[in-house]
Amino acid sequence: MQKFLPSLVMAALSVALTGCLQSEQQDEKVVINKNPYPSTYKALPLQTTLIKNATVLTGTGSRMENADVLMIDGKINKIGNNLSAEGAVEIDADGKWITPGIIDVHSHLGVYPSPSVESHSDGNEMSSPNTSEVWAEHSIWPQDPGFQKARAGGITTLQILPGSANLFGGRGVTLRNVPSQTMQGMKFPAAPYGLKMACGENPKRVYGARKVLPSTRMGNMAGYRMAWAEATEYKRAWEKYDTDYAAGKNPAAPKRDIELDTLKGVLDGDILIHNHCYKAEEMAMMIDLGKEFNYKSGTFHHAIEAYKIADTLAENGNCAAMWPDWWGFKMEAYDMVQENVAIVDAVKNSCAIVHSDSANTIQRLNQEAGKVMYRANENGFDIAPELAITWITANAAQSLGLADKTGSLEMGKNADVVIWNQNPFSVYAQAEQVFVDGAKVYDRFDEKYQAKSDFMLGQR
Amino acid sequence: MKQLTLFKSSLIALALASSSASFAQSFAITHATVHTVTEQGVLENATVVVENGKVIAINPETINADSIIDAKGKVLTPGLIGSMNQLGLVEVSAVSRSRDASDKKANITFDASLAFNPRSTVIPYSRKGGITSNVVAPRGGDDMFKGQTFVADLSGEFDSVRMNNNSVVIDLGAKSKGSRALSLQNLQFKFEDAVKELAKANKKTTNTKDQKEAKEPSREAQVINALLAGEKALVAYADRATDLLALLKMKEQFSLDLVLVGAADAVLIADKIADAKVPVVMTALDNLPGSFDALHVSLENAAKLTQAGVSVALTVNGDTHKLYQLRFHVGNAIANGLSRDTALASVTANVAKAFNLDSGTIAVGKTADLVLWSADPFELSTKVSQMWINGQEYSTHSRQDALRDRYTTPSDMPKAYIK
Repeated sequence: MQKFLPSLVMAALSVALTGCLQSEQQDEKVVINKNPYPSTYKALPLQTTLIKNATVLTGTGSRMENADVLMIDGKINKIGNNLSAEGAVEIDADGKWITPGIIDVHSHLGVYPSPSVESHSDGNEMSSPNTSEVWAEHSIWPQDPGFQKARAGGITTLQILPGSANLFGGRGVTLRNVPSQTMQGMKFPAAPYGLKMACGENPKRVYGARKVLPSTRMGNMAGYRMAWAEATEYKRAWEKYDTDYAAGKNPAAPKRDIELDTLKGVLDGDILIHNHCYKAEEMAMMIDLGKEFNYKSGTFHHAIEAYKIADTLAENGNCAAMWPDWWGFKMEAYDMVQENVAIVDAVKNSCAIVHSDSANTIQRLNQEAGKVMYRANENGFDIAPELAITWITANAAQSLGLADKTGSLEMGKNADVVIWNQNPFSVYAQAEQVFVDGAKVYDRFDEKYQAKSDFMLGQR
Repeated sequence: MKQLTLFKSSLIALALASSSASFAQSFAITHATVHTVTEQGVLENATVVVENGKVIAINPETINADSIIDAKGKVLTPGLIGSMNQLGLVEVSAVSRSRDASDKKANITFDASLAFNPRSTVIPYSRKGGITSNVVAPRGGDDMFKGQTFVADLSGEFDSVRMNNNSVVIDLGAKSKGSRALSLQNLQFKFEDAVKELAKANKKTTNTKDQKEAKEPSREAQVINALLAGEKALVAYADRATDLLALLKMKEQFSLDLVLVGAADAVLIADKIADAKVPVVMTALDNLPGSFDALHVSLENAAKLTQAGVSVALTVNGDTHKLYQLRFHVGNAIANGLSRDTALASVTANVAKAFNLDSGTIAVGKTADLVLWSADPFELSTKVSQMWINGQEYSTHSRQDALRDRYTTPSDMPKAYIK
C-alpha cells in the first residue's frame, strides 16, 4: 500500500528537479516491481577445474578432439589442447565426451512432482481459460526427487511451465538444477519469464466441456485476441501514466491487474512466449497473432507438425521444441515424423530444440536428440553429433533468452558442463560429472555429490 | 501404404502373401550372428533355414532353400515381443471411438481380441522397433479383473491374432477410492469359493444320478477354474511389497500360474519372487517414486531382480504408441547393469515364457519371427535391416515415412500432390 501514500519529500524533489509550473504536487510514482520473488541462487562451492583430453562438443557446432576445458570462477575460461592451470583440480577425461550442460525448455518438475499425489497437483490452474496471473514458480516443490534424477542426466537448466489446459496458462520460470529449500534458491538469475500459451485440443476440450469459450479452435483464437486487445489497452494506459508523470502531471495510476501485468510484459518484450502448439496451421496463425498485437510469437512447444512449415518458422524467428517420437495420444499428435527436428533444423536461421515434457525423459535428452540424428541420417540427412547437441543446449538457451549465459562452451559463459562416459548419443551413455556455474553438482561415482530429496530420506 | 515387402516377386508368392496361411517357400539366412536365446547361445557365421513359417534347421550340413539371404555377419535375433499394451485396440488415444481396450462393464471374461485392428498405423510403426508379436492387455472397467490378454503378431494381416484369452489381468494395490484390502480379500474368497464348488461338483459327478443335474459353471466361474487349474496365468498389476507377498501366498495356496506386472517393490522381496518362480513384467526406465507404492524404483532394478534369479520381462509402459521404443529401454537396462544375454531374453524368451507363447527363441520348430539388425539391436543408431513374421518378410515402412517423404520432396505443386 505504500505506493499510494504521498511522499511529500519525493513530490517536492520532483517539482524542484523538473522546474515545471505545477498546478498540483505529484504523488509518488507508481512503479510495478517486475521481480518481487528474486533469485537467491548462489553457485555451490567451486574450484578452478581443468578437464583434460576429452572429445568436446562445444554447442556452437564444433567438435574438438583431445581437448581440455578450463573453468575458473564459475566461467568457461579456456578450451584448447594441452592447457594447464595452477592450482586447478584436474580431471582426466580421456575417452570421455564433454558437452554444455543440458537444457530442457519444457518441464513440469516441481509443479507436477513425484509422488504424483492429489496434494501435489499444482501445475495447471484450470479455473479459467486465461490465467496469465498465475506463476509456475509459486507452485514449485523444490523437494521433487525428479530434480535429482534430471541432474544425473546432465540437466543443468530447465524451464518449469504451467500446464496446457488454458489459452494462457501463466508464467513459466527458468531454474538452475541445484538442490535448494526454496524456489528462489534455484531461480536462474536474470532469466526472462516465459508465458505459457496453448493451442488446439486442450483448451477447447477443458472449457468446451464447461460450456464456456473456447469450445472450438476459432474460440481459442478469439480468446487470445480478446486478451491481447485488453492487454494493449492496459499497456497504453500505463504508458500514458508514465508519459504524463514524466511531463510533471499528477495522473492517477491505472488500476493494477496481475493478469494483464503478464500480458503487458510480453508486449513490452520482457516475457517470452512459450506456446504449446502442435499443428502447422495453428502455428502459422499464432505467428500472425503475434504480428497483429506486436509481440514475438516465441517458441512452439510439442510442435509435432513443425516440419510442415519449417521455412515459415525460420523466417519469423520462431523456435520449435519437439519430441523425437511421441505421437498418437491425440489427433493433433497424429502426424509425427521421426525426422521432425532435423527437417526444422535444416532451414537457415532455424531454432530446433528437443524437449521432454516428462520427468522421465528429461533424464535422457541426449538419447532423445540421438534418436532424431540417427533416424534422419538413415533418411538422407548428414547430421553430426556437434550439430545434434545444439538441439538440447544452445538452441534451448536461445529459446529461453539465455544464449549469452549458457548453452555453449565459450569463453566467459557460465561453466555449465557435463562429462559423459562416451558419445552422449549412445543408449549406453551416462553423465559422470555435472557442473553448474563451475561447481560440481553431480558425480556418478561419488555419493558426496548425489543429492537426495527430503522426501526420500528415511524411507524404507 | 506398402505393407508387404515380398522377397519373391512371383505371382504365386503374391497370391499367397494376401493371407499368411502356411505356404511352402523356404529361405535360408546365412552368415548371421545368431542370438538364439536358448542354451545354444550366440552362433557366429550361422545359417537359419525357414519353411512354412517355422525355423526348420540351424546350421544344416547342406542348405536346401528356395532363396538365400546373406546376413554378412549382422545380428539375427528372435523378434521382440511387446506386452501389456493396447496395440490394435487404440489408434489415437484421445479419440474415444478409436479405443476398444476398456469398457465400464468389462469383467473377467472380457475378450478384447474381437476388437483387434490389424490395420492400425501403430503396427507398422512398432515394427521399426523389431517387434514381431505382442501380448495385448485389456484395461477393463470397474471390476478388479480387467479381462483377458490376447497375443497378436505384427504382420498387419487380418489373421494376426495368434491366441485369445490366454491370461487373466487383475489390477491390485493402491485405490483412489476404498481399500486395497478389499480387492485382495475378494480375490482370496473367489478362489476359496471356487475350490469348494469344484469339490462339490466332483462329489456330485461321482454319483451318476446327480450327473444330469450338475449345472455348468457360469462363464466367470469357468475362468476362475481355469486359473485354479493353471490353464491360464493370473497377470497381476501390483507394486507394494505387501501386495506382492499376498499374491505369492495365493499362488502357493492355489497353485496359480502367477505373473507380476509393474511390481515396483519387487526388489525388496526379490529372493521370495525368485523362489516362487514368478516372472516379473516391468519397465526398465521407471525410477521416480510416482506413489507411496513405488518408493524403491530404480534404473538398476531389472539387473538386481535378474541377479536374484527372477525372470524379468521388459515392457514399455504408458501410451501404446511408444511400444517401438522397447529396444532402447533394454539398452538403458544394460547401461544400468543388466547382462546382455539376459537383456535380449527379457524382450523375447522371458516374455514368451511368462505368457506361454511359442516364440521368443531361434530354435528348430519355433515360429519364424526373426529380426536382422544393422548392428547392436539396442543401440540408438541401429535399425531393423529385415524382419520376418511367421516366416514372411515385412517392411518397417509406416505412415510416418510417407509423411516425411512428402515434406522432404521438392515440388512446385502443393504437398498434397506428392504421394
